[in-house]
Amino acid sequence: MINLTIDGKAISVTEGTTVLQAAREAGIEIPTLCDHPELTPYGGCRLCLVEVEGARTLQPSCTLPVNNNMIVRTNTDRIKAARKFVLTLIFSERNHFCPYCQVSGGDCELQNAAYDEGMTHWPLQPNWQPYPVDASHPYIILENNRCILCRRCVRACGELVGNFTLGFEGRGARNLLVADLGVPLGESTCISCGVCVQVCPTGALIDRWSAYRGRETQVDRTDTICTGCSIGCGMTTLTRDNNLVRIEGDWEAPANDGLLCEIGRFKPMAETRHRINTPLVRKDGTLKAATWDEAMKVIVARMKPAGKKVAALVSSRMSAEALYGFKQIFADQLHSDMVTSIEEGAYTATAAKLADKMGSAYEGQMSDLLSADGILVVGTDLVKEHQVVGFLVKRIAPAGVPVVLVDEGENKLDTVANFVFKAAKGNVELALRALTAAVIRLGLNKKSVKIADGLVEEFAAKAGLKAEDILEAGRALAEAEHPVFVYGKLLTAPEAGEALEALLNLAAVTGAKVISTKGEANSLAASQYHLDKAFQLNGHEAAYVAIGDEEPTQRLIKKLEGVPFLVVQAGYTSQLTAMADVVLPAAIWLEQDGHYLSLEGRLQFAHKSLQAGTDVRSNAEIFQNLAGCLGVTIKDDWRSALMLRQSPVTIIG
Amino acid sequence: MGKPKIASDWLCGCAGCHMSLLDMDERLAHIVELADLRATPITDLKEPDESGVDVGVLEGGVNNSTNEEVAHRMRKRCGILVALGDCAVFGGVPAMRNFFTVEEALRRAYVETESTDSGGKVPDDPELCQQTRVRALSEVVPVDIHVPGCPPDADVIYYVLSELAQGRRPVLKDDKLHWH
Repeated sequence: MINLTIDGKAISVTEGTTVLQAAREAGIEIPTLCDHPELTPYGGCRLCLVEVEGARTLQPSCTLPVNNNMIVRTNTDRIKAARKFVLTLIFSERNHFCPYCQVSGGDCELQNAAYDEGMTHWPLQPNWQPYPVDASHPYIILENNRCILCRRCVRACGELVGNFTLGFEGRGARNLLVADLGVPLGESTCISCGVCVQVCPTGALIDRWSAYRGRETQVDRTDTICTGCSIGCGMTTLTRDNNLVRIEGDWEAPANDGLLCEIGRFKPMAETRHRINTPLVRKDGTLKAATWDEAMKVIVARMKPAGKKVAALVSSRMSAEALYGFKQIFADQLHSDMVTSIEEGAYTATAAKLADKMGSAYEGQMSDLLSADGILVVGTDLVKEHQVVGFLVKRIAPAGVPVVLVDEGENKLDTVANFVFKAAKGNVELALRALTAAVIRLGLNKKSVKIADGLVEEFAAKAGLKAEDILEAGRALAEAEHPVFVYGKLLTAPEAGEALEALLNLAAVTGAKVISTKGEANSLAASQYHLDKAFQLNGHEAAYVAIGDEEPTQRLIKKLEGVPFLVVQAGYTSQLTAMADVVLPAAIWLEQDGHYLSLEGRLQFAHKSLQAGTDVRSNAEIFQNLAGCLGVTIKDDWRSALMLRQSPVTIIG
Repeated sequence: MGKPKIASDWLCGCAGCHMSLLDMDERLAHIVELADLRATPITDLKEPDESGVDVGVLEGGVNNSTNEEVAHRMRKRCGILVALGDCAVFGGVPAMRNFFTVEEALRRAYVETESTDSGGKVPDDPELCQQTRVRALSEVVPVDIHVPGCPPDADVIYYVLSELAQGRRPVLKDDKLHWH
């Protein structure tokens, strides 16, 4: 422990702590701009200057490590004058005119810092050199006039997301925030995760969808989770007058470390589909607005006699409460032989079967990725799907963590990976067996296994891969102390065969943790409720499709063509609702509460942020109404029902 | 000794700061009790007394030779000069035109405007004032007190004037300090 004094207060902190962190731990406020708790200290803005006894000049506290017997002062006249001077220089460097800035009025850290120092004016006038504005990006506006060169965005882009799109060019007054090698942001390698916008202390990077629609003090904040995919990222929705203004990542959230991807942060803002605001019933060939009573009567009249012959499909983006209500109505009460989810178990089927067989959970946690020193990604493109998992992989790769990629087709992560194995179709299992054999051949296996000689060459040749590459990748994985394997659809789809077993064998010999990305937000819950079989119509007299927020695929639409009676429960109009005989208006994810089981088995609650229209009901409510109208009883023991099946990952909460 | 004299004038602003001053409502009467309100742009007397006033208040930035004259006259005739509002303090909204040349701005205003039907002409009468870059008041004359805000709150203006009228120097901080 290091002992020091800050503003007369004796403080004891661990070695390596910075003076700024030590002051914060002791409850002493030091103003900062370039500092951000999630990023490595940079020491660029000089606002956090402190006086250290014996030091010739003022020192930046954010980069200054504590030392024994250090005596620090944070609030002397000399420091206050320095802070004002620093702010004066920052204001004069570019054009920080507050009246025409989106973050002015409470959301700007630069303005707030000036307020804290009691600055009523700028002693130096700005330089009237106009800096470029880049509005080429669909979601983000880069306003260089507001930039204070703090590099938070650059650090976030590299350190947190591993994307390295943002950087600086030029020196001195010509120092400019640019994307890639100076291309417009909209044409750059930017993946629109928006973390740069969230960390920007000024209005240099603003979200064009939320700009000027409400400041911090004018909006309501709701901590909730993203239902874009199974990661269950923690997020905060900012709403005003029942409108979504902005979405921010929750730094405290367990799964995502504050990060969000385009799907979580920007896509909901850019939603252009049309909502369904009232039940619709087909009369004389056209869909006409109806009351809930009318709609339910039509459904009961056609579905009750059909009984078993009702095929039912549900979106696994729905809450556990809704999924369980759905399952009880159609599987337990109507005894239909075709009750499943829209993703048809593609992301969970083999994993669930394996868990059933093993009788125990075998998957690890997202947090394992934070300390991983060797990574294997199999059968999923983490740049396209489950992007936040991809960020956690991409950001540790530059530190020398080996990344091995095994897949069949195109995979955008291959630019990050040290070893890329593209197996011929259906041969991923062989590639994994070859890696396992390689680890054993090298004598690096952590579990003793005996296998025949020559297997590396045999499997590699069959998979169309080079044995020496396999051996090298096997060494990289086996030498890691905390290897983590991330696997996706290629291993979980019903037709995947025994590739997952092959992966678990490799995990056993390398001591790796495995994580499956799964599919939609409640993929795992759907699997736990056995809503995971392939969808097939076979003389069914009616179909009930609870599609919720999802957009129907052409494949699904094709399958449902020719169903004598189709009910669609949806938030938005689509080709599918146009085909339906009855359409029930469902609330979208922002308008309803509910529980979600994340890919790491964390049971999380999604909070309602917006109020749905008067005739729009939540999915769980609709199933309750439907059960009442059909005269069947459904229970609300969804939580214990989740535990009835062995899950591939331990369910927490 | 009589009541302290206060005079105000406006430069390149929108008169919004003076509207905010009127927003003091009945508290104006209190100010009039404390001080002798002399020339303002919204009363009959238009120029501050040649014999001088105790407090001079200027709204707006300085964007032409007339503004310069008014600013210098007020500075010469007042004891304490108050820059009222974001334009006087920083340059404000009119300062957006500093990203262009004066010629470009004039051409845009008088020739290229959508409502100009034919030709258009930049006024060039020699009696007209000369346009300059938009400057904060403090770039032209020394300013004693800056009251930022677009416009400053009526509460803040009341606080500033009542303090000055009672011979105290107002300190703007915390909830009184807003730049717009």
